[in-house]
Amino acid sequence: MYFFISDLHLSGDRPETVQMFLRFLQQRAATASHLYILGDLFDVWIGDDDKQPPIPEVISALRSLTAGGTWLGLMHGNRDFLLGDAFLRETGADALDDPTLLMLAGVPTLLMHGDLLCTDDTEYLAFRRQVRDPAFQQQFLGLPLEARRQQAREYREMSGEANSLKSEAIMDVNPQAVTDTLKQYGAERLIHGHTHRPGDHRLQIDGHPVSRHVLGDWHTEGAEILCFDEGGIQRELLRV
Amino acid sequence: MITLTTNLGPIVIELDEKNAPKTCENFKQYVADGFFDGTIFHRVINNFMIQGGGFLPGMIQKQTRDPIENEAKNGLSNEIGTIAMARTMEPHSATAQFFINVSNNKFLDHPGQDGWGYCVFGKVISGMEVVNQIKGSDTTTRAGHQDVPAEDIIIEKAEISED
Repeated sequence: MYFFISDLHLSGDRPETVQMFLRFLQQRAATASHLYILGDLFDVWIGDDDKQPPIPEVISALRSLTAGGTWLGLMHGNRDFLLGDAFLRETGADALDDPTLLMLAGVPTLLMHGDLLCTDDTEYLAFRRQVRDPAFQQQFLGLPLEARRQQAREYREMSGEANSLKSEAIMDVNPQAVTDTLKQYGAERLIHGHTHRPGDHRLQIDGHPVSRHVLGDWHTEGAEILCFDEGGIQRELLRV
Repeated sequence: MITLTTNLGPIVIELDEKNAPKTCENFKQYVADGFFDGTIFHRVINNFMIQGGGFLPGMIQKQTRDPIENEAKNGLSNEIGTIAMARTMEPHSATAQFFINVSNNKFLDHPGQDGWGYCVFGKVISGMEVVNQIKGSDTTTRAGHQDVPAEDIIIEKAEISED
C-alpha cells in the first residue's frame, strides 16, 4: 500500500495536528510500504539546525517509520522548501524532485506539490523563483537562527496579506498548465496538493484518459490520506 | 540470445546474464517452457514502452510461476531498446511480463522513486523496426485494460539460441 499526503503545515501552534500525525506514523503509516509527503510537511522551515518543538519529535517518529521498513519520499512545498540534507539523513527519507515521475501500478504518475501548476499567480511564481535561488538560500541560511525566524514571519505575513486579495480561481491550478505538464512528462496520472481542494478529476489529453488526484490539507479536525494499491485509489479519513 | 517471432517480424534480444542473472534465468525458463508462444503485446504506449508476455488474445491472463527477486540494482538503465521486467507495486513481484523501452525511461532505474526501480536484463540487438512498428499501433480499451493494440500483436514463438 502506498500513501500520499501533503499540506500538514506542522508547527508548534497546531498541537492537535502534530499529535494526529505522530499517531498516523506509529499506526497507519507503519502498515504502508511507501509514504510520499508531497510538500508542506511543516508550516515553515528555516533550516535543519532549528530544533524547536515539535521538530525533534517529528524527526524521531519519521526515523522510526523508515527504520521499520516503510520507504519515505519527501518533496519540498512552498513553505518548507529549505528542508535540507541533514533532515533527510536524520529521518531516513529520500528527496523527491518537483515534479517526480513515478511508475505507480504500471501507470506513469507525476507527483508534484502543486504550486508550479498555479501559473495564473505570476506574483507568487516570481517570489518562488527568488526564494528557490541557491544564492538567496545560502545567504538566508547563513543568518543566525533568530534572524531567520523573524524574516520568515515577515514573509508569511506578507504572503497572508497577498493571498487574501486574490480570487479563488487564481489560487487553483491552471488547467492548461496541468495538461502541458502531463504531456511533457508522458504521465497518465497526477497527484498533487497545495491548493487545499481535495478531489479526483478525470480529463482527456489528446483523446487519452488521465486523472488528477488532489490531496487535502491537514486541519485541526482531521485529515485525509490518499491510499493506493493494485485495486486502485481510495481516500481514508483521519480524526483528531 | 532470444528471438521473439511476432506476426510483424522477429525481435532479437541479447540477455545480460552477468548483470541480471536471476532475471535472465527466469526469462529463459519461460521461453524454454513455451510460455510466451501465442501471447500478445497487450500494453502499448507510444512514447513510453511496449509490454507483453502475460496475456493471450482476448486479454486472457496466463498463470505464471512464482515471482522473482528484483535485480534492478545492477547499474543498467531503462534506455531505448532495453528490455525490463514488469511488476506490480510490490518490488519483488516480477513473473513473466516484460517491456521494451521505446523512450529513455531513466525514472524507472534503481532506486527509482520507490526505492527499487525496474530491472533491465537485456537489449534488442535486431528488429528495432518491429518494435517501432508496434509502438505506433492504434490502441483501445479491452476487458478493462487501457492501451491494448486494436489488432493483436502476437508473439508466435519465443526461442533461445546460442550467441
